[in-house]
Amino acid sequence: MKFLCVPCDTPMRLETVRPPEGGSLSIVYSCPECGYEMAMLTNAYETQMVQSLGVRIGPADPAAAPGTSASRCPFTAMIPGGEEARPSPISEPGPVPWTAAAAARLEKVPEFVRPMARTGVERFAREKGAREVDETILDAARDFFGM
Amino acid sequence: MKRYHDIVGDGGSGVLEQVAEQRTRITDGLAGVRHILAVGSGKGGVGKSTLTWHLAGALRARGLRTAILDADFNGPSQARMAGVQGAVFVPGSHKVALPKSRNGIGVFSMGSLIPESEPLAFESVSERESHTWRATREFALLGEILGGFDWGALDVLLFDLPPGAERTVQYADYLSPFDRAAGAPRVSFLLVTIPSEVARGVVARSVAALSKGPHRILGYVENMSGYYCRDCNAIKPLFGTPDSSGLGIPCLGTVPFDPELAAHCDRGLPLTDVPATPAGRALEHVARQLLDVLETIPSASARRAQPQGKEPGE
Repeated sequence: MKFLCVPCDTPMRLETVRPPEGGSLSIVYSCPECGYEMAMLTNAYETQMVQSLGVRIGPADPAAAPGTSASRCPFTAMIPGGEEARPSPISEPGPVPWTAAAAARLEKVPEFVRPMARTGVERFAREKGAREVDETILDAARDFFGM
Repeated sequence: MKRYHDIVGDGGSGVLEQVAEQRTRITDGLAGVRHILAVGSGKGGVGKSTLTWHLAGALRARGLRTAILDADFNGPSQARMAGVQGAVFVPGSHKVALPKSRNGIGVFSMGSLIPESEPLAFESVSERESHTWRATREFALLGEILGGFDWGALDVLLFDLPPGAERTVQYADYLSPFDRAAGAPRVSFLLVTIPSEVARGVVARSVAALSKGPHRILGYVENMSGYYCRDCNAIKPLFGTPDSSGLGIPCLGTVPFDPELAAHCDRGLPLTDVPATPAGRALEHVARQLLDVLETIPSASARRAQPQGKEPGE
């Protein structure tokens, strides 16, 4: 979708995106020629249509506009870190810290897989007696699980 | 006044660029895959998933590098059959390592992520209008899977398609651009039917729908073509004997139903763990036929070099 300032015949530029509120996004466009501003206010149906494309509207950093990203974990019922962990009445111990390099790897994988990846790898690290998840642990996990 | 196509870019929303990035990521991820074989039908309950799993096993047993993408997001079954329900997803240097079955088949299935007691439900700001966005969201998910997992070097990546003739065509349309891209896998379809007029009619509809586009249909497999009775050591009829040849595509084999093989699937055991049976031999035959046909499909670069060549399904 593109917006045109009719008096100037100039394409308008996206300025800000406000996070969804009640399912509605507020997206402000301005004309670079005359400075005229307009806001597109979506209903929940329209917001969802765009989010279903798996794209983000507006700023590249989702943290800058939380809720405008469709790439975060989209599922409402996921197995937390493998099915065998789910029915356990004993809660998982606290999280194992990740080194920056290992965390960077985790950031590269699709967000819908991250919760399971994090839990499964941390459990593997605990079983190996590791105090943190680093790239060596990730490679060992990969070998251990025959990947 | 300017029109849409007079304007370069989209004013900063970046939607088009992100879609293009997704496609690039997918193309890069599939660069090591020679063939995508989409196993569909249109009809539900004909054994697409079981056949996909066993064919992958038969191809793997012949030394081919094989993986399965369970594209039936709403009714995933490959995780159970492949024994990867409790899979641990390990971040690799760039992508997620693919869980593998005991016989070395890479498997992605939503069944590894979502408990069988739960439906696949997306978080949404418009839940009650899911009929308007759900299919789009599922294809975006497919893109995330194709682009986010490490498919590596594969001879065949099998897609286990969901039921529905229209769904089959949607997948064909989604995958079709990859078939034409340089260095991308060739995309082919294998349809599954059973010896019932009802099933044959639905599969015929899928054939007709696929044939409207530039899609390559290798042929069909008649599944549940009788059942194997161990007591009699004979194959007995399950249905009548309708004429499946009316589908107008090659038959790559018939596979009888084998209750023991079905029980093995439920327990996540591969075909190689099952003693030689008529069903196992039939699956081997289908795998051989498939390989023969796949070998005749030239790479994208070869096709460009010989533009006069005509391929199956064209």
